[in-house]
Amino acid sequence: MNLAAESRTSGIRRFRTKLLVAMMVVVSTLTSLGIFFAQRRAADDAGAGLQRDFELELASLHRLQDLRNTAVADRSRALAQNARIHAALEDNALDLLYPSAREELRDLMERAPPDEVDAAATLHAHFYRFLDSHGAVIVPPTGDAGALLPNEEARVAQPHLPTTMQTGYLARHDETGRPTIDEMIAVPIRSTETNEVIAALVLGFKPVETVPHGASIGMKSGILVDGKLQLAGFDRTAEEKIAREVVHELAHPDGREESLRTAIDGVPNLLFFKRLNLDSDYPPAYEVCVYPLDQLLALQARLRWQILSAGGLLLVGGFLVSHFFSRRLSQPVEELAVVSEENFAQRQRAEAELQTTAEELQRSARFSADASHQLKNPITVLRVGLDSLLAREGFPQEFYEEISTLIHQTYRLTGVVEDLLLLSRMDAGKLRLTLNTVDLTHLVEEWTDDLLAMPDAGRLQVETDIPEDLWITGEIKYTGLVVQNLLDNARKYNRPGGTIRIVAKRSGQQVELRVANTGRGIPVDAQPFIFERFHRADTSHDVPGHGLGLNLARELVRLHGGELRLVRSDPERTEFSATFRAAAPAAQASGVVP
Amino acid sequence: MKNLSMAISICGTLLGAPLACLGQATIEGTVELPKAHFAPVENERYEIVSKAGVLATDPPRAVVYLEGNFPKSGNLPTKFVSQKDLGFRPPLLAIEVGTKVEFPNEDDTYHNIFSYSPAKRFDLGRYPPEEKPVPSVVFDKAGLVTLRCDIHEHMRGLILVLQTPYFTITDAGGHFRLTNLPAGRYILKAWINSRKTVEQPVELKNGAALHTNLP
Repeated sequence: MNLAAESRTSGIRRFRTKLLVAMMVVVSTLTSLGIFFAQRRAADDAGAGLQRDFELELASLHRLQDLRNTAVADRSRALAQNARIHAALEDNALDLLYPSAREELRDLMERAPPDEVDAAATLHAHFYRFLDSHGAVIVPPTGDAGALLPNEEARVAQPHLPTTMQTGYLARHDETGRPTIDEMIAVPIRSTETNEVIAALVLGFKPVETVPHGASIGMKSGILVDGKLQLAGFDRTAEEKIAREVVHELAHPDGREESLRTAIDGVPNLLFFKRLNLDSDYPPAYEVCVYPLDQLLALQARLRWQILSAGGLLLVGGFLVSHFFSRRLSQPVEELAVVSEENFAQRQRAEAELQTTAEELQRSARFSADASHQLKNPITVLRVGLDSLLAREGFPQEFYEEISTLIHQTYRLTGVVEDLLLLSRMDAGKLRLTLNTVDLTHLVEEWTDDLLAMPDAGRLQVETDIPEDLWITGEIKYTGLVVQNLLDNARKYNRPGGTIRIVAKRSGQQVELRVANTGRGIPVDAQPFIFERFHRADTSHDVPGHGLGLNLARELVRLHGGELRLVRSDPERTEFSATFRAAAPAAQASGVVP
Repeated sequence: MKNLSMAISICGTLLGAPLACLGQATIEGTVELPKAHFAPVENERYEIVSKAGVLATDPPRAVVYLEGNFPKSGNLPTKFVSQKDLGFRPPLLAIEVGTKVEFPNEDDTYHNIFSYSPAKRFDLGRYPPEEKPVPSVVFDKAGLVTLRCDIHEHMRGLILVLQTPYFTITDAGGHFRLTNLPAGRYILKAWINSRKTVEQPVELKNGAALHTNLP
């Protein structure tokens, strides 16, 4: 038993642990899924946001460029309409070209006041050059057109005269020796007469600068041209590294993703790049935007911590809750286990007992049935023998009296045997009632008549108080037996000259039949046992009976759904009460005495 | 060469009429002109057009001149290129080196005549109609001078400055006639446009008329 309890406890512990583990697994899975998706979502959102920033950046860049390009195109048209420039070009007076254009371009070359940051400032040109009919640079005679080194001038040149506006980027060093990138706009100069392109003007501007959308998160933008990148805020090495990666990405045949991730000084960055000068004869140049991801990563880290702590809280909460629940869950289980174990033992015992009892009962019932059958035959044989003896003549008178007594005894014996048989059938559950409506009034009348016909009943008074047509549900044979038993009992235990009082009445769905006699009464200590089998209330008196009558009557009443009780028993009166189920009066009376 | 010029000089001085002294040769003929963009018009009007950097008259005309070592003419008459109806009149002018050309403004607006041509660079500045004295330029170097107006970009005029006193402009059909030419061997040239000049050697005899076609 101790061992069983231990194994039970460990089983419960296992169950509780399993429950806890399962709940923790669920919580951790949810937490990690939450982290995963939240991070991915955040990364995607941030990536998309940066991409949008970049697009906006480019869009505003292009808007400003368009403004400038329009202004430059206007300027070029004006130049083309300038007779002196035409003259200089057509009459090969190239030395006069730049002086002729000087006036026209003066405002472009003049520095805007430093505090004026507007479209005018973006229209400030660093240099300008004319291209001759072969696309080569016409070298200006003076420095008015902005200084360029010979190798820089070579990069201003075009393979042939452009027929449309072209944008190029020139990486060079400014007057102070700092690396800079100029945006070159080459516009064709068309003859006003023939509309032929006779020359081109190239203007070098400081690249259009926008107020970057991503500036708040440390976005840096620059221009990549000729494999060189100029990115303010980054050192040479970083610039070269980024340039290499972008060039590598561009060289990739199906790359063109226009974005990549790279680490600069250990800080992860997201790069976007897009070609600035499509359809240009100048070397391709790319706008490169570098978005440091440290803020994003910090955000992600914060998010991760938030989710982690939420997950941790959830886990702790889950642990507590699961602990609580597992206790709550396991407690009944535990109790159930104990109870079921006890129940099991009890049941086993009960079953064993029941089995034994049933077997005994079966055995006793069988014995009673067997015994009854075995007894009935010899009794009959005995009676027949005695009857034939009684029929003989020639025996003394005492002999005949003796035989009569013996015959009477055989009848008694038969009664006992029949009662036993009936009881054994009831015990074996083999007695099936054929329920009908029984006229109790009539039944009692018949048995009262029988009672009064008995030899020793002459001095007894019988009082009845039974309403007409009192019907009950039952099988007439056995209800009659009950009535007979009660009346017999009342007769047998009555004092000589006593009274038998029979009262019956209906109350609700029940009919109560009371039979009282004026016998000496049943001793109080014997009263509990009067319904037991083979109990004789008083053995000191010569009262006929075998102690089965009340038991049988009660069994039969119960079988009919009623109860038989001793209502009172004192020296004045002993009264029994039998209840039956009431029934509606039947059309035909069926109270035939068996 | 020096003797010859001196002789001419003496002859001119002695006779008072230089051309009479040098004979009365004549050349006449036709210059084969490029196809005209427009049908030739009777009123002899034409204009200067520029096509692929080539300046020419339209309808085409040619300047025919005799190239040789001629003594420098003194006392050359002043020529005029006026601005009228936002154009140069005449659009094409042939002059001998050293000729003074006046540019009267006969329009109702300002003009600013200038040239970036290697033969003569000048800029008369903006001047109103009836500007006095009339702005003028002396062309002292042979060559083609493109006249432009800084204000009216489309305006084109040509002045062909020649080293010879013997030149003429053909009619729309390319016909020309040069008279009072000195006898001798020369090269007859025809300027057709700024990129094209055709030539042909000629031998002139006193009193004789040469008939030749160019090219």
